[in-house]
Amino acid sequence: MGAGRVLALLAIAAMFGVVIAWPLTRLAIEALGSGTAPFIAALGPEGVDAIRNSLLVALAVTALAVTGGFALALLTEHARVPSRSFLLAGILLPLLVPDFVSALGWTRAFGPAGLIDRLTGVELPGLYGPVGIVFVLASGAVPLAYLLIVAGMRTRAEPDLERAARMSGANGATALRTVTLPLLWPVIAAAGGLIFATTMNTFGTPAVLGRPAGFATMTTRIYSDLAFSSTDAAFERVLGLALLLVAVVVLVVVLTDRLGPRRTERGSIAGPRAATRPAGRLPIALTWTFILLTVVVPLLALVLTALTRAVGLPPLPENLTFANFGRAIDSRTMPALVNSLLLAGGTALACVALGAAVAIAPGQRWRRRGSGIVSLGFAVPGSVLAIGVLLAFGRSLRDSLLIILIAYVAKLWALAARPIAAALDRLSASGVHAARIHGADGPTALRTVTVPLISPTLIAAGLLVFVFALHEVTISILLYGPSSATLAVAILNVQQLGDPTVTTALSVLLTLLVMLCAVPLFVLRRWWSASLVG
Amino acid sequence: MTDFVVRAPQRAISRLYLVLASGVLLAACSSPAASPSAPSATSDVQETASASTLPEPSGTVRLYTSVTQDTVDAVLVAYAEAAPDVTVEVFRAPTGELDARIAAELRDGQIGGDVLWGTDPLSVQSYAAQDLLEAWSPPEAASVPEEYQTDTFWGTRLLNMLIVHAAEMADPPTDWADLTNPAYADGVGIPDPGFAGSAFAVLAYFESNPDFGIEYYEDLAVNGAVQVQAVAEVLTGVAEGRFMAGMTLDKSARDAIAQGSPIEIAWPASGAIALYSPVAVFADAEQLANGQHFANFLLTREAQEAIASTGWQPIRDDVEGPPIDGEQVSPDWDEVFDRQEELLMEYRAIFGG
Repeated sequence: MGAGRVLALLAIAAMFGVVIAWPLTRLAIEALGSGTAPFIAALGPEGVDAIRNSLLVALAVTALAVTGGFALALLTEHARVPSRSFLLAGILLPLLVPDFVSALGWTRAFGPAGLIDRLTGVELPGLYGPVGIVFVLASGAVPLAYLLIVAGMRTRAEPDLERAARMSGANGATALRTVTLPLLWPVIAAAGGLIFATTMNTFGTPAVLGRPAGFATMTTRIYSDLAFSSTDAAFERVLGLALLLVAVVVLVVVLTDRLGPRRTERGSIAGPRAATRPAGRLPIALTWTFILLTVVVPLLALVLTALTRAVGLPPLPENLTFANFGRAIDSRTMPALVNSLLLAGGTALACVALGAAVAIAPGQRWRRRGSGIVSLGFAVPGSVLAIGVLLAFGRSLRDSLLIILIAYVAKLWALAARPIAAALDRLSASGVHAARIHGADGPTALRTVTVPLISPTLIAAGLLVFVFALHEVTISILLYGPSSATLAVAILNVQQLGDPTVTTALSVLLTLLVMLCAVPLFVLRRWWSASLVG
Repeated sequence: MTDFVVRAPQRAISRLYLVLASGVLLAACSSPAASPSAPSATSDVQETASASTLPEPSGTVRLYTSVTQDTVDAVLVAYAEAAPDVTVEVFRAPTGELDARIAAELRDGQIGGDVLWGTDPLSVQSYAAQDLLEAWSPPEAASVPEEYQTDTFWGTRLLNMLIVHAAEMADPPTDWADLTNPAYADGVGIPDPGFAGSAFAVLAYFESNPDFGIEYYEDLAVNGAVQVQAVAEVLTGVAEGRFMAGMTLDKSARDAIAQGSPIEIAWPASGAIALYSPVAVFADAEQLANGQHFANFLLTREAQEAIASTGWQPIRDDVEGPPIDGEQVSPDWDEVFDRQEELLMEYRAIFGG
């Protein structure tokens, strides 16, 4: 079993080398090919502005989203809430909406001439600019934070410790601060790190909402240089800026991982708790208002856009049509959908397996380092990661699905690894010890104790990777070939034709597709739970 | 929730089935809509069908392009008739992504395409300057106006940047200068030249024209004009009422009007800014001959009619295209090419970012 562990670790290291380290090295070589000029250009006054803007936006979004996600997790996990399934669906729904239309949804909902403006004459001030960017990105990141934190909570609920604190006289806030938060810290840090990296990397929302205000981020600068990448100077600046971005993200992620309480060994394995205390009316009302404003209204605005005959017509019955859905789908869409589903499924399996393989790494320190290191791939903007993968494997794997899969795994490995490592951090070692004492060998203990306990996180991670890969538009557009076109190709095709009614129709279809998969699962799971418990 | 843990494998499997099932469902429901319209069969194709002092091609050719998909589709339908033995493998992506792929492949040793069909001359010019394009003379080149020809690339169509404004506007703008008029204060949308070649062409034209100069952008900024990232966003903004007027491309504006969008086109009195969409063949193309055959085909009447059928102005004046309602002006592309960075810096000093 010692040998098995060594082999598995070697396999992970090799995978990391091939999928992340080699493409990044190729990028660095090309960026440094002409000396330090790209980095100096990246650090000019404009570059510094962009770096500052990106950092401020990402920090604000992370703080807001983690706070929001944590608050929602406390509400749904620690208290009884009415219509819980609907509430969960409402919170998680934005994950199913492709992020390339989220800014559009907000401008159509709250912007000038948007849905609310048409109905009430009120528009959201500051939507175009840094405040709007933070607001839109944070509300999109809340479900991500929520999902990861809830998965972590279910790995190891601490009702006894919290109850003990309350019985010893701590009030709710003190118990939260001294018991719940420290125990959840690995999970919160993991979620925060991922949201920070995602936000640093995001392009669509800053482009749509930031350009009108002359607000540049690192990604908008990178993309602008990409638009002129036929010249060497601009191409090298793309790589220089992107590597700088990677450095900033990894630095922040590693620092976050070092902050916060060390792992606590106290406590026992406790199954997921059954919440008994009913939730207060105010938090529930606030949550539903949040869902209404940040989920329902933007989504409604998107659906109305998709149903409108031509852009700019008011969504009145005589202007509504399904024609945009037909225009969104042509003979190429189906093969692209199949490719995207295959890639998303393959990436999810690979990332969860790689993330779970970390479970056999010896101890928390290596897990943290490992999940910190794989964040390298997550930190690279998609288009630049694709350039790195092309540089590394272009000649041998050109046009294949495999080269896209490599890029997806490089990008999304951390999305699975970080939550899984965090869940393992929360796992008490006593369960495994008990199993070993009773004669179980290592693999058996892993299979019968560890995996079942972290399975909520494994599932959440797999779903996240699947949805992120399905909605991806920046990577595969550089890598696809005649038989490996993905949805990204179809999406950018319609997007470039410039008609937002068709683009939104395509994203509504995508959202419906994922919901079609999710809803029956949800129902089945409830039915299963009922039949087991009942 | 207590059984959340136990159910994992079954759920994963059922999820997979559902994914597959709904994929099939969706496939069944959707018919392949909007197949590209075949080029109009009215013309006397026979004259030019002898598209060639070039040999009859067979095999494959790889097309790298940033041209919009509907236009590529229409041209490929026509090419399938002209060269039935050639399989065209298309890699289509927005200009930035296309150029990034080429840059990566170039540094890896071999560009993967044979033919490059770009949207604007800037990037193609850059490849010419790096000696990456084959110098040759297409048989059909004679029918391309001289200003759209070089040794290595040829114009295939024209994109016109013009003014759109809200429909039924009392006093609509009629020329570029009007956009700086206080009547349109805070109501003009312009595309950011940092993101698209067509928007950059506009910047280059104004900056180098003594009648306008970079001061034109200063005046726009003073008047509260708003930059947006994509050219199409201007159109959307005007249609929705976010802007009163703005700069956008002719084809998208005509398409939106045809669908019923509440906008109108104003062909600027001093001229729409025209940029040409060039085709070139890579010098180290694996299928050089096929690449040349395809590039030459784009200049034939059949291809030009296919291009015109999708709403773009063909480069040949003997092929009928969309209405051209006024002057057309262009930047001096050679001069612009060397000044990209400088122009963008000047622009960003005014509009930020």
